[in-house]
Amino acid sequence: MLPIGDDNPQINKPITTYTIIGLNALAWFFLQGMGSGEQLSASVCQYGLIPADLFSSSLWNSDSHVCRAGSGFGWAGVISSMFMHGSWAHILGNMLFLWVFGDNVEDSMGSMRFAIFYLLSGLCASAAQIISGPDSYLPMVGASGAIGGVMGAYIVLYPRVKVHLLVFIMIFKVPAIAMLGYWIVLQVVGGISSMSSTGGGVAFWAHVGGFVGGAILVLILKDDELLVKHPHHGWHAYKDPADIWNDPPNRQ
Amino acid sequence: MPELRAMCLGDLSKVLKIIHTHDEDDAEAAESDYQEEGFENQFVLEVDDKVIGVTGYTEVPATDATCWLSWTYLDKTFRGQGLGKGMVKDLLDKLHSRNCRKLFVKVSDYEDPEDGKIYQTAYKMYESLGFKEEVVSLDFYDEGENQHILGLSLSDFFHYDAEEEIEIIDEKPVIRFDGLHEIAETEGAYTFTWIVKDSKKLFGKRNFTVLDLKIGLESVKNNGGRKIFLTFPSNLPLIHDPLQKAGFKYVGCLADYYEQGVDEFHFTHDLTNI
Repeated sequence: MLPIGDDNPQINKPITTYTIIGLNALAWFFLQGMGSGEQLSASVCQYGLIPADLFSSSLWNSDSHVCRAGSGFGWAGVISSMFMHGSWAHILGNMLFLWVFGDNVEDSMGSMRFAIFYLLSGLCASAAQIISGPDSYLPMVGASGAIGGVMGAYIVLYPRVKVHLLVFIMIFKVPAIAMLGYWIVLQVVGGISSMSSTGGGVAFWAHVGGFVGGAILVLILKDDELLVKHPHHGWHAYKDPADIWNDPPNRQ
Repeated sequence: MPELRAMCLGDLSKVLKIIHTHDEDDAEAAESDYQEEGFENQFVLEVDDKVIGVTGYTEVPATDATCWLSWTYLDKTFRGQGLGKGMVKDLLDKLHSRNCRKLFVKVSDYEDPEDGKIYQTAYKMYESLGFKEEVVSLDFYDEGENQHILGLSLSDFFHYDAEEEIEIIDEKPVIRFDGLHEIAETEGAYTFTWIVKDSKKLFGKRNFTVLDLKIGLESVKNNGGRKIFLTFPSNLPLIHDPLQKAGFKYVGCLADYYEQGVDEFHFTHDLTNI
């Protein structure tokens, strides 16, 4: 189930969205060697976010873990991990979601505020993942926490907008609230079921944290002036005022 | 030779006398207006050192050079000679030189049991000058006495090009009602006063809702009011939903009232189902 577009017109050029996609691509090509074996694992350990690196007081037996103790970026990993990925599918999937949903969220607040919003959503995602496992030695990478924030904002701003979903070879148009609602339920379920496992995989709680953070942050950062003419803003698609009042029952 | 000159305190008693011969209530209302507002932009028409007419204008704050015509009356004994029309034309010249963009006038259609439609002559005179009827508020002054608002673009009257229409951006200010009062010169017609609050993004003040409107409607009903009239600029998209849900009806709009492209919408509620 992949979103490949939406019925939501883009009003301004989404400079920040394009820049973030570009930075992720640059990181993938130059820091991660396009996913080639050694460079990939080295970059994941170096630039990923390792909660245990920051919070665990227990001794770190390097031999039994993916990354060596102290190999990470420390606190800077909170930011750098947002631009790292684990595979081609990981980065392509994330960038596709950002491409589809990022432009309209950027439209709602402007490019500068969107850059701040994106980083803060990423922080929310990291915080949620760290809280779920502060002693974890597993490096966390990926833009999906911050993109979860973009999706949280999208569901708040444009719940009724139709998202085009590619399912096998068929394209379905479903309201954003259904598609993103389904997605967040999957993340919560995944998060709960992953609590008993110790292995790596999807950072479900980062997705949930980013999503919730984004849904709240958008209320603070959105600019009503920018949204005022947006045809799909919120549940109410205001008719042209003159239309409303020209209905005979509304006339004096 | 008739001459339009600035009004001063010495003219007040003569002016009030002229208005009184037409409408006693208007004379009373005019007196309090002159006391409160003074004589700025008020003029008298003099023929052979005798004051025979009064006119003037008030500028509307927070608009782009929009004006209302003030008390405009002509001594009854001088009617039918084109003096009233000439007086308003002279006033239009003054307004033109002071860059007024649009002039509005309110006219009642009151029918006196003895004298008939006492404002009909004035209404026709305004029409002959090019004023166009823009809004009619039914039962405004009292049951059966409507208010007609006529507007004149000075660009039309003096045949010059109006300012180019600029793109009007809708605005979403936080509007809250902060009072209600009976409209002057009316019997039981009320309006709400409103203010714009600072918008606070996080736990912000919200625009007025249908509940706010209902509180106001009930207060007016309890005060013995008959009707409510509200006006808003045309570029506020958030006002329409609550107004419509509270049962307000659209009366019409004064075109280009605030500025070129921003009209003044008029709404009314007759308190049914309250």
